[in-house]
Amino acid sequence: MRVERIIFVMKKSIKIALVSVAILGLGGICVGLYLFNLQAKNLKKAKPDFAITSIDLQKAFEDNEAVSIAKFVNKIIEVTGTIESVKDGEGNITNVALKTGSELSLVICTLSPQSDPAQLVSGNEVTIRGECSGFLMDVLMNNCVVIK
Amino acid sequence: MKRLSFIILLLGLFLTANAQKYITKNGYIGFFSSTPVENIKADNNQVASVIDISTGEVVFQALIKSFKFEKALMEEHFNENYLESEKFPKSTFKGKITNLTAVDFNKQGHYDVTVEGDLTIHDVTNKVTVKGGVDVISGGIDANSKFIIVPEDFKINIPGVVRNSIAKTIEVTVAMKYAPVENK
Repeated sequence: MRVERIIFVMKKSIKIALVSVAILGLGGICVGLYLFNLQAKNLKKAKPDFAITSIDLQKAFEDNEAVSIAKFVNKIIEVTGTIESVKDGEGNITNVALKTGSELSLVICTLSPQSDPAQLVSGNEVTIRGECSGFLMDVLMNNCVVIK
Repeated sequence: MKRLSFIILLLGLFLTANAQKYITKNGYIGFFSSTPVENIKADNNQVASVIDISTGEVVFQALIKSFKFEKALMEEHFNENYLESEKFPKSTFKGKITNLTAVDFNKQGHYDVTVEGDLTIHDVTNKVTVKGGVDVISGGIDANSKFIIVPEDFKINIPGVVRNSIAKTIEVTVAMKYAPVENK
Protein backbone atom coordinates (compact mmCIF):
# COMPACT_ATOMS: atom_id res chain seq x y z
CA MET A 1 0.00 0.00 0.00
CA ARG A 2 2.68 2.47 1.07
CA VAL A 3 4.97 1.49 -1.81
CA GLU A 4 2.14 1.90 -4.28
CA ARG A 5 1.43 5.33 -2.82
CA ILE A 6 5.10 6.34 -3.21
CA ILE A 7 5.15 5.10 -6.80
CA PHE A 8 1.95 7.03 -7.50
CA VAL A 9 3.41 10.25 -6.05
CA MET A 10 6.65 9.70 -7.99
CA LYS A 11 4.77 9.15 -11.24
CA LYS A 12 2.75 12.26 -10.56
CA SER A 13 5.80 14.42 -9.86
CA ILE A 14 7.52 13.11 -12.99
CA LYS A 15 4.42 14.01 -14.96
CA ILE A 16 4.35 17.51 -13.44
CA ALA A 17 8.07 17.93 -14.11
CA LEU A 18 7.66 16.83 -17.75
CA VAL A 19 4.71 19.12 -18.30
CA SER A 20 6.58 22.06 -16.70
CA VAL A 21 9.62 21.43 -18.90
CA ALA A 22 7.36 21.26 -21.95
CA ILE A 23 5.63 24.52 -20.99
CA LEU A 24 8.97 26.23 -20.29
CA GLY A 25 10.34 24.95 -23.59
CA LEU A 26 7.29 26.16 -25.52
CA GLY A 27 7.51 29.50 -23.72
CA GLY A 28 11.19 29.75 -24.65
CA ILE A 29 10.43 28.98 -28.29
CA CYS A 30 7.67 31.59 -28.29
CA VAL A 31 9.92 34.26 -26.76
CA GLY A 32 12.65 33.32 -29.23
CA LEU A 33 10.30 33.54 -32.20
CA TYR A 34 8.90 36.80 -30.89
CA LEU A 35 12.38 38.35 -30.56
CA PHE A 36 13.46 36.94 -33.91
CA ASN A 37 10.46 38.40 -35.69
CA LEU A 38 10.39 41.71 -33.83
CA GLN A 39 9.84 44.45 -36.37
CA ALA A 40 11.71 47.71 -36.50
CA LYS A 41 10.59 50.08 -33.77
CA ASN A 42 7.43 52.04 -34.33
CA LEU A 43 7.98 55.42 -32.72
CA LYS A 44 4.34 56.60 -32.88
CA LYS A 45 3.93 56.06 -29.15
CA ALA A 46 7.55 56.14 -28.03
CA LYS A 47 8.66 58.63 -25.42
CA PRO A 48 11.38 60.94 -26.76
CA ASP A 49 14.72 61.23 -24.94
CA PHE A 50 15.22 64.75 -26.29
CA ALA A 51 13.07 67.52 -27.75
CA ILE A 52 15.18 70.00 -29.70
CA THR A 53 15.04 72.35 -32.70
CA SER A 54 16.78 71.33 -35.94
CA ILE A 55 18.99 74.43 -35.58
CA ASP A 56 20.26 73.37 -32.15
CA LEU A 57 20.65 69.71 -33.11
CA GLN A 58 22.78 70.46 -36.19
CA LYS A 59 24.83 73.01 -34.22
CA ALA A 60 25.52 70.46 -31.49
CA PHE A 61 26.93 67.99 -34.07
CA GLU A 62 28.90 70.66 -35.90
CA ASP A 63 30.42 72.04 -32.69
CA ASN A 64 31.38 68.68 -31.22
CA GLU A 65 30.65 65.53 -33.16
CA ALA A 66 32.10 63.06 -30.65
CA VAL A 67 30.15 64.46 -27.71
CA SER A 68 26.95 64.65 -29.76
CA ILE A 69 27.32 61.07 -30.99
CA ALA A 70 27.54 59.89 -27.39
CA LYS A 71 24.59 62.07 -26.43
CA PHE A 72 22.16 61.60 -29.34
CA VAL A 73 22.92 58.49 -31.42
CA ASN A 74 20.41 55.66 -30.91
CA LYS A 75 18.26 58.04 -28.86
CA ILE A 76 14.72 59.02 -29.76
CA ILE A 77 14.62 62.70 -30.63
CA GLU A 78 11.71 64.99 -31.31
CA VAL A 79 13.07 67.60 -33.67
CA THR A 80 11.22 70.76 -34.69
CA GLY A 81 12.16 72.84 -37.71
CA THR A 82 11.23 74.35 -41.05
CA ILE A 83 10.97 71.95 -43.98
CA GLU A 84 13.69 72.63 -46.55
CA SER A 85 12.72 69.86 -48.97
CA VAL A 86 10.75 66.63 -49.27
CA LYS A 87 12.38 63.98 -51.46
CA ASP A 88 11.40 60.49 -52.53
CA GLY A 89 13.90 57.72 -51.99
CA GLU A 90 13.76 54.15 -53.27
CA GLY A 91 10.52 52.28 -52.73
CA ASN A 92 8.01 54.13 -50.62
CA ILE A 93 10.60 56.04 -48.65
CA THR A 94 10.46 59.80 -48.10
CA ASN A 95 13.29 61.97 -46.82
CA VAL A 96 12.41 65.26 -45.16
CA ALA A 97 15.20 67.81 -44.79
CA LEU A 98 14.89 70.42 -42.05
CA LYS A 99 16.58 73.81 -42.19
CA THR A 100 19.38 74.61 -39.77
CA GLY A 101 21.79 77.48 -39.20
CA SER A 102 23.91 76.14 -42.07
CA GLU A 103 22.82 75.95 -45.70
CA LEU A 104 25.04 72.95 -46.43
CA SER A 105 24.36 70.84 -43.37
CA LEU A 106 20.73 70.00 -42.57
CA VAL A 107 18.77 67.52 -40.47
CA ILE A 108 17.58 64.71 -42.78
CA CYS A 109 14.73 62.54 -41.52
CA THR A 110 13.85 59.30 -43.30
CA LEU A 111 10.19 58.59 -42.62
CA SER A 112 9.10 55.10 -41.66
CA PRO A 113 7.01 53.44 -44.42
CA GLN A 114 3.85 53.81 -42.29
CA SER A 115 4.16 57.59 -42.24
CA ASP A 116 2.08 59.70 -44.58
CA PRO A 117 4.21 62.41 -46.20
CA ALA A 118 1.24 64.10 -47.93
CA GLN A 119 0.95 66.83 -45.33
CA LEU A 120 4.58 67.89 -45.64
CA VAL A 121 5.21 71.07 -47.62
CA SER A 122 8.47 72.98 -47.97
CA GLY A 123 8.53 76.09 -45.80
CA ASN A 124 6.14 74.72 -43.18
CA GLU A 125 7.14 74.04 -39.62
CA VAL A 126 7.05 70.43 -38.52
CA THR A 127 7.87 68.25 -35.52
CA ILE A 128 9.28 64.84 -36.32
CA ARG A 129 10.10 62.03 -33.90
CA GLY A 130 12.87 59.69 -34.93
CA GLU A 131 15.96 57.78 -33.97
CA CYS A 132 19.27 59.57 -34.49
CA SER A 133 21.76 57.56 -36.58
CA GLY A 134 24.63 60.05 -36.57
CA PHE A 135 26.27 62.72 -38.70
CA LEU A 136 27.67 62.67 -42.23
CA MET A 137 27.27 66.05 -43.94
CA ASP A 138 23.91 66.30 -42.20
CA VAL A 139 22.38 65.00 -39.00
CA LEU A 140 20.63 61.76 -39.97
CA MET A 141 17.40 60.47 -38.40
CA ASN A 142 15.62 57.18 -39.11
CA ASN A 143 12.29 55.43 -38.39
CA CYS A 144 10.74 58.90 -38.30
CA VAL A 145 7.10 59.71 -37.70
CA VAL A 146 5.47 63.11 -38.14
CA ILE A 147 4.09 64.44 -34.85
CA LYS A 148 2.63 67.75 -36.09
CA MET B 1 34.80 98.85 -66.54
CA LYS B 2 37.89 96.83 -65.76
CA ARG B 3 36.40 95.92 -62.45
CA LEU B 4 33.13 94.83 -64.03
CA SER B 5 34.79 92.54 -66.56
CA PHE B 6 36.85 91.06 -63.75
CA ILE B 7 33.69 90.30 -61.81
CA ILE B 8 32.06 88.77 -64.90
CA LEU B 9 35.18 86.65 -65.49
CA LEU B 10 35.21 85.53 -61.86
CA LEU B 11 31.52 84.77 -61.92
CA GLY B 12 31.96 82.76 -65.14
CA LEU B 13 34.76 80.72 -63.61
CA PHE B 14 32.76 80.13 -60.47
CA LEU B 15 29.70 78.99 -62.39
CA THR B 16 31.58 76.58 -64.65
CA ALA B 17 33.48 75.21 -61.67
CA ASN B 18 30.17 74.63 -59.94
CA ALA B 19 28.41 73.05 -62.89
CA GLN B 20 31.01 70.26 -62.89
CA LYS B 21 29.90 68.87 -59.56
CA TYR B 22 26.73 66.97 -58.83
CA ILE B 23 25.59 65.99 -55.38
CA THR B 24 22.99 63.95 -53.51
CA LYS B 25 22.38 63.41 -49.82
CA ASN B 26 19.38 61.12 -50.36
CA GLY B 27 21.10 58.36 -52.27
CA TYR B 28 20.14 54.72 -51.88
CA ILE B 29 22.34 51.74 -51.11
CA GLY B 30 20.76 48.42 -50.28
CA PHE B 31 22.05 44.94 -49.82
CA PHE B 32 20.55 41.56 -50.20
CA SER B 33 21.63 38.20 -48.87
CA SER B 34 19.85 35.12 -50.09
CA THR B 35 20.12 31.59 -48.73
CA PRO B 36 17.66 28.70 -48.66
CA VAL B 37 17.15 29.43 -44.95
CA GLU B 38 16.41 33.14 -45.15
CA ASN B 39 16.49 36.28 -47.29
CA ILE B 40 17.90 39.37 -45.63
CA LYS B 41 17.52 42.87 -47.02
CA ALA B 42 18.64 46.26 -45.72
CA ASP B 43 18.07 49.75 -47.09
CA ASN B 44 19.87 53.03 -46.59
CA ASN B 45 18.29 56.14 -48.11
CA GLN B 46 20.74 58.60 -46.57
CA VAL B 47 23.82 58.09 -48.70
CA ALA B 48 25.80 61.24 -49.51
CA SER B 49 27.64 61.28 -52.81
CA VAL B 50 29.41 63.73 -55.11
CA ILE B 51 30.35 63.20 -58.73
CA ASP B 52 32.73 65.50 -60.59
CA ILE B 53 31.97 65.17 -64.28
CA SER B 54 35.15 66.94 -65.38
CA THR B 55 37.46 64.43 -63.74
CA GLY B 56 35.12 61.45 -63.31
CA GLU B 57 35.80 61.32 -59.61
CA VAL B 58 33.05 59.90 -57.41
CA VAL B 59 32.77 59.81 -53.64
CA PHE B 60 30.21 57.97 -51.54
CA GLN B 61 29.67 58.13 -47.80
CA ALA B 62 27.16 56.21 -45.72
CA LEU B 63 26.45 55.66 -42.05
CA ILE B 64 26.26 51.99 -41.07
CA LYS B 65 23.49 52.81 -38.59
CA SER B 66 21.35 54.16 -41.45
CA PHE B 67 20.93 50.64 -42.89
CA LYS B 68 17.44 49.58 -41.91
CA PHE B 69 16.27 45.97 -41.69
CA GLU B 70 12.82 44.50 -41.54
CA LYS B 71 13.64 42.70 -38.31
CA ALA B 72 14.96 44.60 -35.30
CA LEU B 73 17.16 41.73 -34.11
CA MET B 74 18.95 41.48 -37.46
CA GLU B 75 19.67 45.20 -37.36
CA GLU B 76 21.07 44.84 -33.85
CA HIS B 77 23.37 41.94 -34.81
CA PHE B 78 24.45 43.77 -37.95
CA ASN B 79 25.43 46.88 -35.96
CA GLU B 80 26.83 45.27 -32.83
CA ASN B 81 28.42 42.02 -33.97
CA TYR B 82 29.22 42.17 -37.67
CA LEU B 83 29.87 45.78 -38.71
CA GLU B 84 30.67 47.12 -35.21
CA SER B 85 29.10 50.46 -36.08
CA GLU B 86 30.05 52.12 -32.78
CA LYS B 87 33.73 51.65 -33.62
CA PHE B 88 33.42 52.09 -37.40
CA PRO B 89 30.36 54.28 -38.00
CA LYS B 90 31.01 55.16 -41.66
CA SER B 91 31.55 53.35 -44.91
CA THR B 92 33.13 55.19 -47.83
CA PHE B 93 33.97 54.74 -51.48
CA LYS B 94 36.38 56.96 -53.39
CA GLY B 95 36.88 56.21 -57.03
CA LYS B 96 36.91 57.26 -60.64
CA ILE B 97 34.93 56.55 -63.77
CA THR B 98 37.55 54.83 -65.94
CA ASN B 99 35.75 55.29 -69.27
CA LEU B 100 34.82 58.94 -68.81
CA THR B 101 35.24 59.71 -72.53
CA ALA B 102 32.33 57.35 -73.27
CA VAL B 103 29.93 59.64 -71.38
CA ASP B 104 28.61 62.89 -72.83
CA PHE B 105 27.23 64.76 -69.83
CA ASN B 106 25.76 67.40 -72.16
CA LYS B 107 23.59 64.91 -73.99
CA GLN B 108 20.66 63.15 -72.35
CA GLY B 109 20.78 59.39 -72.48
CA HIS B 110 22.08 56.21 -70.89
CA TYR B 111 25.77 55.42 -70.68
CA ASP B 112 27.49 52.30 -69.33
CA VAL B 113 30.37 53.10 -67.01
CA THR B 114 33.06 51.30 -65.08
CA VAL B 115 34.09 52.71 -61.72
CA GLU B 116 37.30 51.77 -59.98
CA GLY B 117 38.26 52.76 -56.48
CA ASP B 118 38.69 52.07 -52.79
CA LEU B 119 35.78 50.72 -50.80
CA THR B 120 36.08 50.98 -47.03
CA ILE B 121 33.78 48.95 -44.83
CA HIS B 122 34.44 47.90 -41.23
CA ASP B 123 37.74 49.87 -41.38
CA VAL B 124 39.06 47.56 -44.12
CA THR B 125 39.82 49.06 -47.53
CA ASN B 126 39.68 47.00 -50.71
CA LYS B 127 40.16 47.96 -54.34
CA VAL B 128 36.98 47.28 -56.27
CA THR B 129 35.91 47.65 -59.89
CA VAL B 130 32.19 47.83 -60.55
CA LYS B 131 30.04 48.29 -63.59
CA GLY B 132 27.14 50.67 -63.57
CA GLY B 133 24.94 52.97 -65.57
CA VAL B 134 24.73 56.73 -65.77
CA ASP B 135 21.59 58.43 -67.05
CA VAL B 136 21.96 62.04 -68.04
CA ILE B 137 18.51 63.55 -67.55
CA SER B 138 17.14 67.06 -67.58
CA GLY B 139 18.43 68.85 -64.50
CA GLY B 140 20.52 66.03 -63.13
CA ILE B 141 22.27 62.71 -63.35
CA ASP B 142 21.01 59.30 -62.22
CA ALA B 143 23.50 56.57 -61.45
CA ASN B 144 22.85 52.90 -60.79
CA SER B 145 24.95 49.88 -60.04
CA LYS B 146 24.68 46.35 -58.75
CA PHE B 147 27.69 44.40 -57.58
CA ILE B 148 28.76 41.62 -55.26
CA ILE B 149 30.90 41.87 -52.16
CA VAL B 150 32.27 39.18 -49.89
CA PRO B 151 31.94 39.98 -46.14
CA GLU B 152 35.13 38.02 -45.39
CA ASP B 153 37.13 40.46 -47.56
CA PHE B 154 36.23 43.16 -45.05
CA LYS B 155 37.02 41.03 -41.99
CA ILE B 156 33.35 40.75 -41.15
CA ASN B 157 33.07 37.57 -39.13
CA ILE B 158 29.81 35.73 -39.22
CA PRO B 159 29.60 33.10 -36.48
CA GLY B 160 28.90 29.44 -37.26
CA VAL B 161 25.43 29.43 -35.73
CA VAL B 162 24.00 31.81 -38.32
CA ARG B 163 26.44 30.97 -41.12
CA ASN B 164 23.75 29.12 -43.02
CA SER B 165 21.27 32.00 -42.95
CA ILE B 166 23.72 34.63 -44.23
CA ALA B 167 25.03 34.31 -47.77
CA LYS B 168 28.78 34.13 -48.51
CA THR B 169 28.35 36.87 -51.08
CA ILE B 170 26.15 39.93 -50.68
CA GLU B 171 24.48 41.76 -53.54
CA VAL B 172 24.79 45.54 -53.25
CA THR B 173 22.43 47.89 -55.11
CA VAL B 174 23.28 51.55 -55.62
CA ALA B 175 20.78 54.15 -56.89
CA MET B 176 21.63 57.84 -56.91
CA LYS B 177 19.76 60.90 -58.14
CA TYR B 178 22.27 63.72 -58.42
CA ALA B 179 21.48 67.40 -58.76
CA PRO B 180 24.01 70.07 -59.77
CA VAL B 181 25.72 71.81 -56.88
CA GLU B 182 23.73 74.98 -56.43
CA ASN B 183 25.36 78.34 -56.26
CA LYS B 184 23.75 79.84 -53.20
